[in-house]
Amino acid sequence: MAYNFKIIEDCLKCTFREQRLFCDLSREALLKLQNIKATSVYPKGALLCLEGQPPRGVFVLCTGRAKLSTTSSEGKSMILRIAEPGEVLGLTAAVSGTPYEATVETLETSQANFISQTEFLRFLQDFPDVGLRVARQLTHNCKCAYGEIRSLALSNSVPEKLAKLILQWAEHPLEMPGKRPYETAIRVTLTQEEIAQLTGTSRETVSRVLSSFRKKSWIKVKGATWTILNRQALEGLVTT
Amino acid sequence: MNTPPLQSESANELYASLPPELRTELAHYEQSVTVPEGTNLIKRGVLPDQLVIVNSGKVEITFDCVRESVSVDCAAEGKVFGMRAVVSGELPEADVTSQESCHVTLIPRNAFLGVVRQHPQMYFAIAKILSSDLVMAQRLLKTSLRRRASKGAGGPLVRWPH
Repeated sequence: MAYNFKIIEDCLKCTFREQRLFCDLSREALLKLQNIKATSVYPKGALLCLEGQPPRGVFVLCTGRAKLSTTSSEGKSMILRIAEPGEVLGLTAAVSGTPYEATVETLETSQANFISQTEFLRFLQDFPDVGLRVARQLTHNCKCAYGEIRSLALSNSVPEKLAKLILQWAEHPLEMPGKRPYETAIRVTLTQEEIAQLTGTSRETVSRVLSSFRKKSWIKVKGATWTILNRQALEGLVTT
Repeated sequence: MNTPPLQSESANELYASLPPELRTELAHYEQSVTVPEGTNLIKRGVLPDQLVIVNSGKVEITFDCVRESVSVDCAAEGKVFGMRAVVSGELPEADVTSQESCHVTLIPRNAFLGVVRQHPQMYFAIAKILSSDLVMAQRLLKTSLRRRASKGAGGPLVRWPH
């Protein structure tokens, strides 16, 4: 196995299907999906689509994570959100025929299934359950976007924003044998620069705040594995 | 088949993606009204009883950002509001208020959902509307991030025009 995950070629045999927002489709729809998708594995840092580019199609993220970013007028990159497995990327552009709203870049080695815009729209029209799934994902994304806007307006301090982010990541903990019951391990593949882009601050500030969290023994950082040692302390920072 | 002209057929974003027979079916439930300036057509946090289709006139969309109200966009004829709330039961995030006298078509939520259940192919049209709503939210998020980035994290809260 060249990658640290098994490549899922056949959507009908995918064991994650039922947990995913988009993929839990009828057998007929899955058979069609199997015919129209092109499976690829992308290395970390691969650009799936570029903000402002006319839509070519959608990417169903099967494994790995990707960052959705935009650029400020000063050329500064800002992360809108992190996409998780099971998400359809480039959805609004493909459905509404408008340019891609964000640049999508893989954060780790990822598998994604590409479906051309024409095929995807036909798929959406021919299979009502696909339409229902797409509507659910759009609804979910819209809710997340409004949540982010609120969060940006509310969180004034960087420690609060970082605490919120860490607690958010802790919703998907890593299985770690030997960890104490009160500890939560998470895998963080973002660089400090990317965390800064995600929280609207500078890399230096992120570094300073994380260092203070470590000194207070609230978290432990070992490479990409972070361990939350004092969840209560982090929760105490979050006022909203 | 000759389809009778419908009141709200004039290129609204929902009907534009529906076949004539479905437009006719929905027309049975339509109620057309003229509302005066300042009417709150969709109220944030309140599940709407109906879909609102703007046939003429302008409406303003405002988002409550906790400490301030953000004017997100203005929309005119053809725009459909309340879709996300009607199909998912999620409470609306924004207020939609008429900026002038507006002619609107209302389709009751339960009637609309009944037609969708009978004709699930309508999800294609629904997805298009939800998609344009998401584009609007994403643009607001980008503006919000850009303003914050230009002011610095420790700076004052983003100031939005009222």
